[in-house]
Amino acid sequence: MSPILVYLATLVVYFFIYNIFGFGLNIQFGYAGILDFAFITFMAVGGYLYGAAALPHETPGSQIYYVLGLSWSFPLALLLGILGAGAVGALVGLIALKRLRSDYLAIVTLASGTLIYGVIGNFTRLFDGWEGLMGVPQPFTGALNLNANTFVLFFVLVSGVIMAILWFFANRLYRSPLGRAMRAVREDIDVAEAYGKNAFKLRMTAMVIGCIYAGIGGALTIAFITALAPAGWSTGETFVIWALLLIGGRGNNLGAVVGSFLVAVLFTEATRYLPAIGGNPNLIPDLRNIVIGVLLIVTLRFRPQGLVPEPKTNFFAVPLTSRVLRRVRHEEVVGA
Amino acid sequence: MPEATPVDRGTPILQLDQVVRSFGGVRAVDGCSFSIDRGSLTALIGPNGAGKSTVVNLVAGALKPDAGSIVYGGVDITGVVSHRIAGRGLIRTFQLSREFARMTVLENLVVVARGQSGESLFNALLRPRLCRREDRVLVERAIDVLDRFGLAAQRDMYAGDLSGGQKRLVELARAVMSEPELLILDEPMAGVNPALIDLLGGHIESLCRNGITVVMVEHNLEIVERICDHVVVMALGRTLATGVMSDLRSNSEVVRAYLGERLDEPTVR
Repeated sequence: MSPILVYLATLVVYFFIYNIFGFGLNIQFGYAGILDFAFITFMAVGGYLYGAAALPHETPGSQIYYVLGLSWSFPLALLLGILGAGAVGALVGLIALKRLRSDYLAIVTLASGTLIYGVIGNFTRLFDGWEGLMGVPQPFTGALNLNANTFVLFFVLVSGVIMAILWFFANRLYRSPLGRAMRAVREDIDVAEAYGKNAFKLRMTAMVIGCIYAGIGGALTIAFITALAPAGWSTGETFVIWALLLIGGRGNNLGAVVGSFLVAVLFTEATRYLPAIGGNPNLIPDLRNIVIGVLLIVTLRFRPQGLVPEPKTNFFAVPLTSRVLRRVRHEEVVGA
Repeated sequence: MPEATPVDRGTPILQLDQVVRSFGGVRAVDGCSFSIDRGSLTALIGPNGAGKSTVVNLVAGALKPDAGSIVYGGVDITGVVSHRIAGRGLIRTFQLSREFARMTVLENLVVVARGQSGESLFNALLRPRLCRREDRVLVERAIDVLDRFGLAAQRDMYAGDLSGGQKRLVELARAVMSEPELLILDEPMAGVNPALIDLLGGHIESLCRNGITVVMVEHNLEIVERICDHVVVMALGRTLATGVMSDLRSNSEVVRAYLGERLDEPTVR
């Protein structure tokens, strides 16, 4: 199989996974207005739990330490990743969402993320510390007799289907009365409360769902690349997801898709194998961050709503029988 | 201190008894007591710093009182959180227009309707038909309300793009949409032109005629005298007097504290 095809397929998998991250952060920030600066941490929780559950029991004397080691199948390990990310999200939410708003909340999430980063890095027995988990078995390879190349193609399908399901439910949530109430909390938390909306519960729901999305993305990441170490989920990675959502358009899942194509695929992943400029291997990664930063600033200055802005809700797709509405429509047509 | 004297009609829907709330060393509300009768249109007046807005915040659950009790509809709601109080039908508006800016006018109304089953996660994700069915009813009701307030044509505009006066109307329309039993309006006329004051006044009167008990914090005494059947005067965190506006004008304590030289000439803003 042509290596170009495999490389493109790899990019597609990254694209799908970043879409999932984009949807997750959009549910938290775009819907409910939660400034979650620890988003990538929940990706890591999902990824590690998936990995530790999918790996066989640790070999004594191998110098690689991790908990669990259950040799679980893909769906079971994924489920554990989902539950873990959701639970950690709920825990952070419990601290951050009860009383805090915007900037304070952002600082608490950032601190929680840093704390978890330190714990996982330093407690080697958990997920092999700074070295990270590696050698996580690629799912379905045995059952479907896949080689390294066909696995990549197969994983396009797996991640694509999961991404599509998550996109569908994210959109359904947006349009639902629950999503509407979340947006009311985003717009003005006091007013939403004054109209009987339980802001804590609404934000907590958005927080946990967003973290579950992050956890699923994390599980797919480690299942695909078979390894995950703290270097892969530093605070800077949260920034990439924030950049893709803000550039693409917060409040709009299509915006998250456009953003993840531009930021995550075009600038972050596709530039990974460019030849080093002038023999300096760090130049391209540095330039990449500069380009993303500039793109973000330009977007916020000239198109703060993002490339694909949040759409206006149109209730009139549903047939209405209101007498008043008929009259209003008539007046608009006739110009009365 | 004069005790609240209930007007004849109706039973009390809201009773404050010796409510106290301090901020640091300042007792913003210092033993405030009054009662509001069901079906009445009451004005809460008093000079700046009298504690009116704090009382609104205390009643609506945005703040917790340090002492005293607040009884609404026969139930003690002292210290109950705001969304639960709102759930019982006590709705308040804010001093400045606080619309949901990046939601359409129609959405601003639909979202505040109480008891939407689509606000549960299960129904939101797995029962879209139920959600749509409920939404359709709510949207029609919202359009009727908007029409009453002359805002039907603006229904698809972002609320943040409306003019100041329109935002005031949306605020009131939104409150109506939530079907309150007791509606507390915090300076509904602040910063609007005289023509709109009359319009808002008319709307508020008609809400009251339709069975909603209304309390409004207001500085415009002319409109208070015109539409309110009961007035509570506050000064320095206490209830100074209660009664009808014409009686209060002859109450020297009230005149000293608030009305001052404007006694003969009603305030027009």
